[in-house]
Amino acid sequence: MRDVAIIGAGMIPFGRRDEDTLMEMLAYAALKALDDAAQSDTGHVLPPIDAVYVANMGGGMLQRQTAIASSLVDRLSLMPAAAETIENGPASGASAVKNGLLAIASGYYDCVLVVGGEKMREVTGWRATDFVATMTHPQAEYPYGITLPGMAGMFTRLYMEQYGVTREHLLAISLKNQEMGTLNPYAHVEMALDRDGIFDSPHSIVNNPVTADPLHLYDLCPVSDGAAAIVLCSLELAKKLSKPPVLIAGFGQATDTQTLQEREDPTDLKAVTIAAQKAFAMANLTPADIHVAELHDAFTILEIAESEHVGFFPKGEGGKAALAGKTRLGGQIPINVSGGLKARGHPVGATGVAQLVDIVWQLRHELPANRQVQGAKNGLTVNFGGFGNNVLAFVLKRVEQ
Amino acid sequence: MKKEIAITAYKCKQCGKIHYPYHDRCLVCKGREFEKMKPEGDAHLLTYTAIFNLPWGFDQRFLIIGVAEFENHVKAMGQIKVDSVDQLKTGMKVRPSWEPIRVQYGENVYGLKFEPIE
Ligand SMILES: [Zn+2]
Repeated sequence: MRDVAIIGAGMIPFGRRDEDTLMEMLAYAALKALDDAAQSDTGHVLPPIDAVYVANMGGGMLQRQTAIASSLVDRLSLMPAAAETIENGPASGASAVKNGLLAIASGYYDCVLVVGGEKMREVTGWRATDFVATMTHPQAEYPYGITLPGMAGMFTRLYMEQYGVTREHLLAISLKNQEMGTLNPYAHVEMALDRDGIFDSPHSIVNNPVTADPLHLYDLCPVSDGAAAIVLCSLELAKKLSKPPVLIAGFGQATDTQTLQEREDPTDLKAVTIAAQKAFAMANLTPADIHVAELHDAFTILEIAESEHVGFFPKGEGGKAALAGKTRLGGQIPINVSGGLKARGHPVGATGVAQLVDIVWQLRHELPANRQVQGAKNGLTVNFGGFGNNVLAFVLKRVEQ
Repeated sequence: MKKEIAITAYKCKQCGKIHYPYHDRCLVCKGREFEKMKPEGDAHLLTYTAIFNLPWGFDQRFLIIGVAEFENHVKAMGQIKVDSVDQLKTGMKVRPSWEPIRVQYGENVYGLKFEPIE
């Protein structure tokens, strides 16, 4: 197997992008990643793009558009590159990257473009909620009106009762991630939260109502439009470019039962543990070697639970660690310095790719000082599909030129 | 008239594992033969939530949903007939019933509901 590196990364600002179609967003992000790779290619060694993998979950349902990857190669004039759309729920982004990774590792392709994007704001909130809920079991869950925030609420209740997670712990995640979002020009939510306004004061019940008990409004990520892209090639080729290559040192993916109730212990996110363990084993690194992580915080509880399941903290300690500032920039392990899904936003197909873009910028040391993890060499991403029934993890490593 | 709970669970003939919903192979032993079974008796609540951002298709202010385990160990999701989560506690006994859970194309869709037992 060949080593594979990320040589181009790009993203468009997430948020409400009424002015752009899904295809426009995908194209803009793709061009940014292609330009980034081209800038690095001062010696003109890069071959043409062999294949394009496009992550998208809802084009068929929300835009009534299918075969999105074929349309994108046409817009980008990348023919005759191979192209396909990858749908794997909210883990579509990481799944598309995985397909690119395996294609280059196998030696079949030399240069691959991966783009993830979603346009969710053109439908009403309850249509978007319904669209995401179609991931749930079609007979045993969906008809009851369960939503993904609802699944997270039921999970949070168990986590609180069994591991002593408190609202204060969850709040620490919202405050941290929204504060970081104010520094990220790509973030959907660029508004710092005021603890008093959403937690302490009597007005907090109005400002931060219960949305999926025991989760409140500010425990949930926003519904966003957005796109992100990366360019992959073999490490050997990447070493001939001017920017430091970011090696995909480890990758892991695992699945779990579709319904929470069929898991022996519903608080055990086995797919997260296994995906992360596989990624660490392949990279020959441990959680202690990671300098920066992007975890899938669609709900605040998930950042806490994932920080435990990937091995940063023992189970039951993630909330306390967040409250103690251990996951802030400058802390033991900075998590979601980008603002995470909570602030950057969660255009479902884009998220898994955007996490990698943010880690690439961190490992190339390209970010402004107020959100750069100093000297970061190794990064971790976790992209969480369904309610933890399809999870992908990547370990990225800066390669010194 | 009380309707029968129209849920079928599946007990693996090889290892006894109870499944709901259906799987083509047993989650434990990969066996493919199952004995059909009905959820029996009352249930106890494993977890629950109240959802205030409802998906399209529900014409109400909020929904209270939970997962409960029946006396014969079948576990299933259902809507809970209370006005507030303050009336609920994990582990509490609930009585199941089969009632309309939503309206689709002008017709009632039936499903599980749970009600706390006083
Ligand atoms: Zn069995």
